[in-house]
Amino acid sequence: MKITILNGNPDASNVVFDDYLKKLSDALLSDRNETTIFTLRDMDLKYCRGCFGCWVKTPGECVVKDDTRKIRRQYINSDLALFASPVVMGFTSALLKRAHERFIPLIHPYFELVDGEMHHLSRYDKYPLMALLLEKGKDTDEEDMEIISDIYRRDAINFKTSFCFTRVTSDPIEEVANEISGL
Amino acid sequence: MKLAVFNGSPRRESSNTRVLMEHFLNGFMATEENTYEIAYLKDVKDRDTFVSLFQDAEHVILASPLYVDAMPAVVKDFIESLEPLCQREGNPDIGFVVQSGFPEPEHSRYLERYYEKLAKRLGCRYKGTVIRGAGENVRAGPGLMNRGLYKSFYKLGEAFGKTGEFDRKIVASLAKPERLSRLKFRIISIVSNLMYWNRMLKKNNAYDKRFDRPYAAEAKTD
Repeated sequence: MKITILNGNPDASNVVFDDYLKKLSDALLSDRNETTIFTLRDMDLKYCRGCFGCWVKTPGECVVKDDTRKIRRQYINSDLALFASPVVMGFTSALLKRAHERFIPLIHPYFELVDGEMHHLSRYDKYPLMALLLEKGKDTDEEDMEIISDIYRRDAINFKTSFCFTRVTSDPIEEVANEISGL
Repeated sequence: MKLAVFNGSPRRESSNTRVLMEHFLNGFMATEENTYEIAYLKDVKDRDTFVSLFQDAEHVILASPLYVDAMPAVVKDFIESLEPLCQREGNPDIGFVVQSGFPEPEHSRYLERYYEKLAKRLGCRYKGTVIRGAGENVRAGPGLMNRGLYKSFYKLGEAFGKTGEFDRKIVASLAKPERLSRLKFRIISIVSNLMYWNRMLKKNNAYDKRFDRPYAAEAKTD
């Protein structure tokens, strides 16, 4: 399985989080998966401007040239995207959100009904599964975890896929790796 | 009453959020002695002034579009900068406005839950979240179509200017319709595809490329 890990840890001094991802990636590799980790804080990553250029000027491509081109290409050709982030103020990091918004070129502006609700059309035949890996903060509670998971579950509808799981960095790495390999 | 408005639209002044809030603020200013300040969260270099504006406010409204099912990244950046103010004595009351491109309010209900929790986390009294769908009509739809919408935002602001609260009835009416009928969906999608997306695609000579897949495995790499 081809796995893209989006590391949304904004804080380079939080080495524990990055280490977890590295070890998870190693465990996945030894189970014959392919993995790519994008450490978002080290990348050139502009904010989405809401210009719709990716839908009406250069369909499928963002008009802003930066590292997200690399990320989008890897993402859309993966089987699973793991959105990884410490929980900051009850949600995934602003850094991860910034990257996520730049995935809009991967879908199409036209509308369709999905379960009676309006959504956009697919641009590609296949989209990666989505999953969350979170590091709980001191103030993170169960309600936060539910809200985050529910928002990503909604997001999976818009990114034409299924949401698989929410895991936390206090879970044993082997367990998370096994869950991913079993997908 | 002193109000601080944080506009979280990445489109800043040319945003639908700005237009809706302008009507709201016109209503708000109908009460004498009311004053307001607006901060555009897109101007990330001003982040320190955002925090002090928040800190000094009595009433705060955070208004933004829905971006991929949640708050825009600039809004999340701002929220993260408020972390030191959690549970501070004297934090302002806070209300939220979320407008989405999708017409149904359901898309924004998840962010609404987040915002209610955020108010609790900050220790701010929660005034509620105003949800409005089909927000792109503000700039794309004919002026006449938006007249009722602007009037509602004016009235919402007017009532807010007197009571410091969102009028529940107006909030409920703005969130309609909860679901689209199949017929209504067909009309909306045909009209928006033809009048909006296709028109812009053609203007940009990109109509023939509208189904392009630049990242498909068979497409050449950079």
